[in-house]
Amino acid sequence: MIICVNLKKNKTKFKLYKMKLLKNIFTLLLTVLIMSCSSSDDNVEDLTGQTGDVILKFDNGVGDQDFIFETTYSKSNNESFKLTNLKYIISNIEFTDSEGNTFMYPSEDNVFIVDEEDANAAGEIWITLNDVNAADYVSVTFGVGIDQDRFALGADGQGDFLELASEKGMMWSWATGYKFVRFDGTYSNTTLEDEALNVHMGSVGTSLDNYREITLELPNSVIVREDTSPEIHIKADLEKVWDGITTATFEEGYNQVHTSETQTPVIANNVINMFEVHHVHND
Amino acid sequence: MKKVSFFLVTLFVFISCNKEDGVYVPVSINLDLPENFPELAYDLDNNPITEAGFELGKALFYEGKLSSNNAIACAFCHEQASAFTHHGHNLSHGVDGAIGLRNTPPIQNLAYQTSFMWDGAATHLDFQPIIPITSELEMNETLSNVILKLEADSDYQEKFDRAFDDGKVNTENMLKALSQFMVMMISSNSKYDKYVRGEEDVILTTIESDGLNNFKNKCSVCHATDLFTDQSFKNNGLPINPTLNDTGRYGVLENPDDMYKFKVPSLRNVEVTGPYMHDGRFYSLEAVLDFYEAGIVDNGNVDELLLKVDGTYGISLTDYEKESIISFLKTLTDNEFLEDERFSEY
Repeated sequence: MIICVNLKKNKTKFKLYKMKLLKNIFTLLLTVLIMSCSSSDDNVEDLTGQTGDVILKFDNGVGDQDFIFETTYSKSNNESFKLTNLKYIISNIEFTDSEGNTFMYPSEDNVFIVDEEDANAAGEIWITLNDVNAADYVSVTFGVGIDQDRFALGADGQGDFLELASEKGMMWSWATGYKFVRFDGTYSNTTLEDEALNVHMGSVGTSLDNYREITLELPNSVIVREDTSPEIHIKADLEKVWDGITTATFEEGYNQVHTSETQTPVIANNVINMFEVHHVHND
Repeated sequence: MKKVSFFLVTLFVFISCNKEDGVYVPVSINLDLPENFPELAYDLDNNPITEAGFELGKALFYEGKLSSNNAIACAFCHEQASAFTHHGHNLSHGVDGAIGLRNTPPIQNLAYQTSFMWDGAATHLDFQPIIPITSELEMNETLSNVILKLEADSDYQEKFDRAFDDGKVNTENMLKALSQFMVMMISSNSKYDKYVRGEEDVILTTIESDGLNNFKNKCSVCHATDLFTDQSFKNNGLPINPTLNDTGRYGVLENPDDMYKFKVPSLRNVEVTGPYMHDGRFYSLEAVLDFYEAGIVDNGNVDELLLKVDGTYGISLTDYEKESIISFLKTLTDNEFLEDERFSEY
């Protein structure tokens, strides 16, 4: 953090110096200078005040297959599953540039539901972020679920998200909280067939915090400018939900995960590690 | 009384004469915080109370449109004369004759509570109303449908305009308004309160005073502070009702240690909030104290505070101790709150 602050200070100093210099230069030269600023040379390009859009494409899959509703996918321990619901909450999206400067999307708009039902024909769910500060970003950070600070605000600043979450079945009705992830369907193994599979997990008030964040390095910089709409293609591998950091076996109780203090953190830790940036498009 | 002004709205918009036209005019309401109460739990900075916000919250509290059949308002189960409980009903009732699973808790001093519902399933007051609104056994409605109904009502559109800067008829503002109404519902002017604060030369009678001492010795570990709850969850050894088989707090975190635990209720206005316990099984305070003396059963997880030296569970209480404790508990009845017109429907 301290490094970030220093860098910003240096940047400001540099700008002041530049402005003094410019004042003493002939108007024509100034124009030339500005023109050279907007060339491809990053070191002199002044992006102050410039913003652009960024699109995050979430693409759910299972191992080396695309995710399709009602399709059976196998996992460890001779178990398989198929889903009818696949949703999760993404929040607190933040970008970092190569100098460590960060851009956090405005908090009140920085919470989204990624719902496979909303996917386009290619199976992608798009989150479009408007007015992102122009920069060349090298990593993206986001969380799955609702962090404690946001929850502590109560209704404040939540706008229509409460309704959206409620409509999408991402709120509990027996308790007040968000379902951070929701997977519904059935599972089978060598002896059982089409047993109920329901993972509805989140934090439980302040007693159990299952919000998790991850930072993904970008394979190439996302170049945000006024006239570009770069796309970050994020793959989510559902295989990792049950065969991730910790192996979760349906028959041992992971077919029904709701508020358990032991089970929900396992799923939370597996889920946050299912994401990877597949590629970045700068147009 | 310590007057604490929680927020100062100095921006008086000079179009306030247009108040009737639904213009946002934030006239703040001071919350009087009783000096014998602990710290507020509710963060007023996130939702400052205004006159228009409070009025909207009150309208919503008495609004049947919050339910699927447009008939069951919050106030249906939360009647003022019973300290906002469902008078005489052991279990709460919902739309189309549905019967809930638990006894309606009172609405009072919620701004001091860190969790809500008998099992603490809600931890923020703003979100608490979502449970009864969406429960199929209570109001059986969806948030988006409530908003659709309110949006279609020009009277509400105007009320939201007056109450909130953005004037939006949405869930955020609806819940904030309900919280503003509930935060204001402070019961702190019982005979006991006046006695402890040394107001109006109020003194307790001998039996009330004996009752207070007995209460302090036998009940106040759990029914602590002048809120009369330590806000913890306890298994008090009630025989399990097989029809309901309510596991209480266990349902929230699925922790086996939480089996049959329920939140220690406040005892304010307890004289009028019967029947008692999470399932309303006891119709009188006498029945409650008889239970604590001799009715506790070992259901496997009874709180050890209730364990006596002889290895049985219970609280030793003589007849006079019980009688005096009940006399004391009646000094917690706050008629100013029960009749406060600010909270009344009409």
